[in-house]
Amino acid sequence: MKLKNYLKDKWYEIVIFIVLLISILLLLLAFKIDHSLITVIISLLIFFYIIIVLIDYFRKKSFYNKLLINIERLDKAYLVLETIDSPNFYEGKLLYQALYDINKSMVENIGVFKSQMEEFKEYIEMWIHEVKIPISSLMLMAHNHKNKFDKTSIEQMKKIENYVEQVLYYVRSENSEKDYLIKKVSLKKVICDIALKNQQDLLENKIDLIVENVEQNIYTDSKWLEFILNQIINNSIKYRKNISQSYIKITTKKTTEKLLLIIEDNGIGIPKEDINKVFFKSFTGHNGRIKTKSTGIGLFIAKNLCKKLGHKIEIESIQNEYTKVYITFSNNQYYEVVK
Amino acid sequence: MKKIFIVEDDQTVSKGLLELLTNAGYNAKIIENFEKVEEEINTYNPDLILLDINIPYINGQILLQNLRKKIDTPIIMVTSRNDETDEVLSMSYGADDYITKPYNPNILLLHIGAIFKRVENYNDKLSYKDLEIDTSKGIVKNKAKEIMLTKNEMLIFSYLISKKEHLVTRDELMTLLWDNNEYINDNALTVNISRLRTKLMLLGYKDIIATRKREGYILL
Repeated sequence: MKLKNYLKDKWYEIVIFIVLLISILLLLLAFKIDHSLITVIISLLIFFYIIIVLIDYFRKKSFYNKLLINIERLDKAYLVLETIDSPNFYEGKLLYQALYDINKSMVENIGVFKSQMEEFKEYIEMWIHEVKIPISSLMLMAHNHKNKFDKTSIEQMKKIENYVEQVLYYVRSENSEKDYLIKKVSLKKVICDIALKNQQDLLENKIDLIVENVEQNIYTDSKWLEFILNQIINNSIKYRKNISQSYIKITTKKTTEKLLLIIEDNGIGIPKEDINKVFFKSFTGHNGRIKTKSTGIGLFIAKNLCKKLGHKIEIESIQNEYTKVYITFSNNQYYEVVK
Repeated sequence: MKKIFIVEDDQTVSKGLLELLTNAGYNAKIIENFEKVEEEINTYNPDLILLDINIPYINGQILLQNLRKKIDTPIIMVTSRNDETDEVLSMSYGADDYITKPYNPNILLLHIGAIFKRVENYNDKLSYKDLEIDTSKGIVKNKAKEIMLTKNEMLIFSYLISKKEHLVTRDELMTLLWDNNEYINDNALTVNISRLRTKLMLLGYKDIIATRKREGYILL
């Protein structure tokens, strides 16, 4: 709160005061009052007026300045009322009460949305469990009656399964609740599960899977990591080159502080202009347009999940040569201690 | 024949499972009344139980806890809840395995087989006709000769022995090998089979692994 602006705001009061002064001055002069007395009266009036203005200014200043500064300092500005006391002047009290009411109604409103979101999330999770049951039945039927189902129908089922998983993990990654569980996980086992999940696809497309040096334990949520790796492997299969020596290679590199998981393929790669955007939501880029339609959501979810789990995911590629995805697991001593 | 009890409330899935298990040579039974799960299990006296988490009247994990107080029959949790917490809880309540739906039927069968092996205090020694097979050392021998098999050849051979005189599809063998972290391709499987045949021939068994075109193999 600046004095200049405060005075500007009070211009009509000041004008009226000056008119009052002039009227009194003229009146006193008309009654031929002694000049020194006139000077004293006018000085007293001016002096006390200034004091009234200053007292008012400082009372308001201390409240408004604190309010403004705290709003700026807080990252959640709506909490500002918690940091200041109710002021001792009338207008301030009105403002304080108004802010209090507005805040309360907003919090209530957000509460409604929050519970709606929560309900929606619960519904989606439940729906996913439900929809997996018919998918399971179909898979069993396809297995039991191989003559009635051909390979394409199984492929389609796998696709449905993948899309369903994506929804589940999208909901999980967007929600702030902690619904993952970090424990010691065998990397070899996670990779084995993913390999089996994609076995048909890999064999069908004649992609060799090379897995080396993965006898490590890491701290993560195995289900989440499986989803992340599955997205990467799916992309590698989708964006393969139609050559006979296609491969996906999974290896690790260990340093004292971290473990680096490297998933490398010799597929069509990613154009330079797209590489920084592959983790963006709904980004499909050049590759997404030339191959069958891509939703651009898989890697976005993978990145979000990695962030929550505290892993780092990076991608490196040369178009028409290779794509390498790196996932960094920090050698977290903390979990060792907690155990 | 091994008896497997299926606790699953979706009829299509449970019928599919019944068919899958029967085809694989097990004796299976689907639960009839969810209010009397424990009684049904007692009367049927199965060798293994497939248990879903979302079942009527009682939560599968609570049922698992109750069962564990009385019996130590192997239990595989088969559920659509793809959640680490559920898995950790189930395992801590005494489940022997945890498989999430939708699953690859071959993998389910492999896991069931693995549990039976474990339960029967399975030792590393197998036999076929006059051959003695030591799976851990990778040795096959008869009185005259001893031959080393590679890990893959041993996996394939012991699986064929366990399914003697039954058709084993290439898919099954592939799943078996991949489940053992051997991510080989189609050509490599063919090569492994033909090497195994050659080695068996050296032991005097020619043509004991028959090929069924476009289906798989049978150990005669």
